[in-house]
Amino acid sequence: MQEQFNEIFTKYHEIITIGVYGTSIALMLIGLYAVLTKKNLVKMVIGLSIVDAGIHLLFVGIGYIQNGTAPIFSPGNENAGDRMVDPVPQALVLTAIIIGFAITAVALSLIIRLYKHHNTAKIDQIKYLKW
Amino acid sequence: MNIFFLLITILFSGALLTFLVNKVAPKISGIVTFATIALVSFLFFTQVNIGDTFQFTLGEIPMQFGITPYTFIFAIIVLGLGTLASLYSIGYMKDQERLGYFYSNFLLSVTGMIGIVFSQDFITFFIFWEIMTWSSYLIVIYNGYNSRKIGMKYMIFSAIGAYAMLTAIVSIKANYGTFNIAEAIQNGAFNFSENIYIPVLLLVGFAVKAALMPLHVWAPNAYSKSPMSFTSIFSGAMSKMGILGIGLVLASAYSYTNHDNANYVTALRYALGWLGGITAVMATIYALIQTHAKKLLAYSSVAQLGYIIVGLSTGTELGVMAALFLAVVHGIFKGALFMVVGAVERQVGTTDMTKISGLIRKMPFTFFVALVSIIALAGVPPLGGFVGKWMLYEALITESNNYFLVIVIFFSSTAAFLYSYRFLFGLFLGQEEKETEHVKEAPITMVIPMMILAILLIVTGAFPGVLFEPIAHGMHYLGFSDVNWSMSVLVNIWGEESNMTYINLSIGVVFVVVFAFLTIKGYKGTKNVGTKDISTSGEIPTENENLTFQLDFFKPFERAAAPLYKRSMDKIWNDLGNAFEALTDFTRKIYTGNGQTYAVYVVIFLVILLLMKDTLFAN
Amino acid sequence: MVISPIHYIFVPLVAAFAIPLLSKINKELPRIIPGIVMFYNIIISFVLMQEVNEVGYISEVIAGWEAPWGINLVITPFSGFLVSLISVLGFLIWLYGFRFKKVIDAGELRSYNILQMMMITGAIGIIITGDIFNMFVFLEIVAITAISLTSFYRGRDGAEAGFKYLLIGGFASALILLAILILYTQVGTLNMAEIAERMHTVPQGIKATILLLFIVGFGIEAELFPLNGWAPDAYSQAPGPTSSAFAGIVVKAGVYGLIRIIFTLFDVDGAYDFLITAGLITMIIAEASALRQTNLKRMLAYSSIGQMGLALIAFGIGTKEAVFGAMFLLFNHAVIKSLLFMTGSILIYNSKDKTINSLSGIAKKLPFISILFAIGAFAIVGLPPFSGFWSKLYVLTAAADENMILLIAAILAVSVVEIVYYFRVVGKLYFPDKESNIEVYRPKFNAMIAMGVLGVVILVIGFYPDLITGYLHNAADILLDKASYIRFVLNADLPIQ
Repeated sequence: MQEQFNEIFTKYHEIITIGVYGTSIALMLIGLYAVLTKKNLVKMVIGLSIVDAGIHLLFVGIGYIQNGTAPIFSPGNENAGDRMVDPVPQALVLTAIIIGFAITAVALSLIIRLYKHHNTAKIDQIKYLKW
Repeated sequence: MNIFFLLITILFSGALLTFLVNKVAPKISGIVTFATIALVSFLFFTQVNIGDTFQFTLGEIPMQFGITPYTFIFAIIVLGLGTLASLYSIGYMKDQERLGYFYSNFLLSVTGMIGIVFSQDFITFFIFWEIMTWSSYLIVIYNGYNSRKIGMKYMIFSAIGAYAMLTAIVSIKANYGTFNIAEAIQNGAFNFSENIYIPVLLLVGFAVKAALMPLHVWAPNAYSKSPMSFTSIFSGAMSKMGILGIGLVLASAYSYTNHDNANYVTALRYALGWLGGITAVMATIYALIQTHAKKLLAYSSVAQLGYIIVGLSTGTELGVMAALFLAVVHGIFKGALFMVVGAVERQVGTTDMTKISGLIRKMPFTFFVALVSIIALAGVPPLGGFVGKWMLYEALITESNNYFLVIVIFFSSTAAFLYSYRFLFGLFLGQEEKETEHVKEAPITMVIPMMILAILLIVTGAFPGVLFEPIAHGMHYLGFSDVNWSMSVLVNIWGEESNMTYINLSIGVVFVVVFAFLTIKGYKGTKNVGTKDISTSGEIPTENENLTFQLDFFKPFERAAAPLYKRSMDKIWNDLGNAFEALTDFTRKIYTGNGQTYAVYVVIFLVILLLMKDTLFAN
Repeated sequence: MVISPIHYIFVPLVAAFAIPLLSKINKELPRIIPGIVMFYNIIISFVLMQEVNEVGYISEVIAGWEAPWGINLVITPFSGFLVSLISVLGFLIWLYGFRFKKVIDAGELRSYNILQMMMITGAIGIIITGDIFNMFVFLEIVAITAISLTSFYRGRDGAEAGFKYLLIGGFASALILLAILILYTQVGTLNMAEIAERMHTVPQGIKATILLLFIVGFGIEAELFPLNGWAPDAYSQAPGPTSSAFAGIVVKAGVYGLIRIIFTLFDVDGAYDFLITAGLITMIIAEASALRQTNLKRMLAYSSIGQMGLALIAFGIGTKEAVFGAMFLLFNHAVIKSLLFMTGSILIYNSKDKTINSLSGIAKKLPFISILFAIGAFAIVGLPPFSGFWSKLYVLTAAADENMILLIAAILAVSVVEIVYYFRVVGKLYFPDKESNIEVYRPKFNAMIAMGVLGVVILVIGFYPDLITGYLHNAADILLDKASYIRFVLNADLPIQ
């Protein structure tokens, strides 16, 4: 019973791992596609956020290990360090998310202003600064 | 404080001082300039001995000052002409705007030239070279809007030349381990069989300043557009800095001539000789058709520099000596001539030869200077130009058997008579124009330097030995063994003062007699006519038609040489420049202005790099 | 240790939060406080420089966590030099912008001052941090503040420039984050010294991938071609003081990041050649684009990009002399380009349409500004006796020692182009097509002092470069001495390579 569970769990873990990696890479590509092909400023910013999201997911994914525990040392759990989930990527992701948020906020405010001035949100029509 | 350091400091502070003085009292900034240069000249000729050196470290590079017998020749030109030109400026620049700007740049360019003369290592040389370049650029654009393009052309060529030089300098450091000029030469830096690009690049740099074909196109305009008081040192002294460099490189290159590089050196000799010859001919031909006296002199300058380079390219003692002699004499007479034109410009308001004539009665002193200088320029005995040219022919014929070049030079020299005649006749002889009735002789501060130069010309013509002495020392320093001027048949007699009195006296007597005879005879037969009193073959000219004889002065000649005027080097360079600008204009279209395009660039760049990563970072 | 480097970051942060509150007390405080902070930065810098030149390194661990675990701030002669430069420039830029006319009402004044201060803090942070992720965070601080400042003016074009910057900057942050991520999976640490120590264990292919991601990410900040599309727009639209800060400070931080990563973190030889190639292309394209530019600030921006290309070439040559030359170049560029942007902004402010043509003959009205602009122009093209000449000379000498004659030729050919467009502007300033009689806004006394100081620095260094060459040599030596960096930060016994 135990062995069977472990086997299933291992497979499940592999699937999860592949799933996480695959999803994050897919997210990045989708975001990239949006940034590179969509003309609408808002869509481009959404694309940028999706790329960020993909990277964040990847970050969390690599920190994960099978059967991991929380990286907290507490009485009765002194050897948490043996199987703990790597805490560093999680900390980094938190920071990165905040940065991504800030960038998105600035972007949206800029888009509002661009729309006010140009009356359009198409990037290929906003090119007064060139050459 | 060391004397070299002191002199440079005086010059720099003088430049600053005139700039500041101009803010409070514009009138004395010219005097400050003159005083500075005069003080420096005085200190130089009394305190500095040939062979003195001085070294200090700046920017971790040892900066070496010193004076060698060779550079002493050029120090004479720079300081002598600089002093006189600054004195002349006081009168010439009176009542002009931006005097602080003019005088401080004037002093800076003199500083640059003196620094070049003093420098014993390439970095010092280059620093002063650049100071000289940009300060003279600033003076070229002094006359405002119209000169901006001309100044730009000058600056572009100068920059190309200077940077060619810089490339050579850093390569010398890399390959021969020193910035010191003498050491570099000893280590074989200018050896043509080793790193041929080093001497060639240096020569390109110097050739720009010496206005050698095909790098001469800046010169005629820049010479004629800058204020004449500056042009006299611009053409008289600054172009000699190029000659200084060319002489140095060539002499060292010749001195290592051996079996390996004999072919290179010969090729170089021919190339330079022919470039110089073509420069002389083409510039002379162009000088002929100029109606502005300034332009005429500017082209003539280029032509004269051509001769000097031909002389240097012979590589024989006589040829080099001729070149250096011509360099000094050219400095004097071209300095004087530009001053003459400046005086005319200031007194009359134009130098257009179709508008002026008969100034001889109004400006007799100026005329005298012009006459003496023109005699020297045209190479008529008994003045210096003749001696120099004689030696040049002698060197070309007897020592290098370069007959074709002799023909070329001879042609150009003969044609030079034509424009000299036009210059003298156009401005000073002939009938007086009504417009010039009020004209007076130039102020005394302008006449004195001109007269000094004229006297110097007579002295150097009569006693060329005065100049041969330092030149011979300089050439000895360059490695020409046992230089003496007795090699030349002519100078042999003339150079030594004992024989000179007789010859000089006799020529003087002949000259005076002929002059008196012509004057008396000519005076009787003349009839006063207006300049426009000419036959028009039945056609009645309109009021505005310019009928001055100065127009189409050499019509037949012009017609004959017409094909030469069509393809000018200037046009080729202009086209090149425009093509380059169009190309850059095309390049910047990369920045389309569309943010998304930039994003695409980023992604494409990343993808390309990722695909190439194995070749890029194969560690 | 007299003062901890943490003050660089701590003090401006506190000030940034305090400014909005203090502005309730006195309206003048928001613009005075940044000045005090900047001045304090200068004091710290000089104290630390003094110390670092004696002991070699200063490392400050934050919150008591020792080096590999905690975040540490490292000051070496290299980073110390850059930080001092940035501090002094930051102060001068503050002084210059102190009474900047376009900053009108209190709200804008506040945000302008906070943003400008935080941008400089971020740049200092990038340089002194010893932790790769921390560097990323500072880079983002710089990016966000820089974007906000770019679009500071509420006109049409400010937002456009800001958005472009943001879009490309977003890429930069994503790529750097990705690179840090992959790097972390490989070496399991974020401390730069430890990364450098373990780098040899990373497989070649992955190493190259990480390096490329970093190069592209930091290359965007360092304005490498073709990643620099945002730069001319941002430079030309930002307020005057900010453009000087971009040229003098922000781009230095970007270049520092690139150099730190290539020199310290990685041990890939090809990276140096890559720097040379990329720098060369950047320089050529940028200077070519500047040649026909009609907008003055845009021209200056392209010129700035070109200079950065030259600096990267110099770093790419990689010898001690070359790195020394590159450091000198960074110094010169910071001083000269800041001066050019400061004077240029005032000139532009007085023109009708920001074009060079409309500046014709303005020198009569603004003699002081014009002469400073001319000094800057002469210095940046490398004419002696101005400071720009020395850096160019050192770089060229170093290149010649490596026998890179064609490279020298390319650099000098580009210099000719530089001369053409700078002298065109200077010529126009002094020699007008026709007399113009525009009413000019004369810069205030404080701005004059800021610009005057920079002008004097250019002249003094031009006449006597030995004032700073000692520091620069130290900086260059330390940058190349990777082993001792690792040894010092980790207190580890490493063999000297």
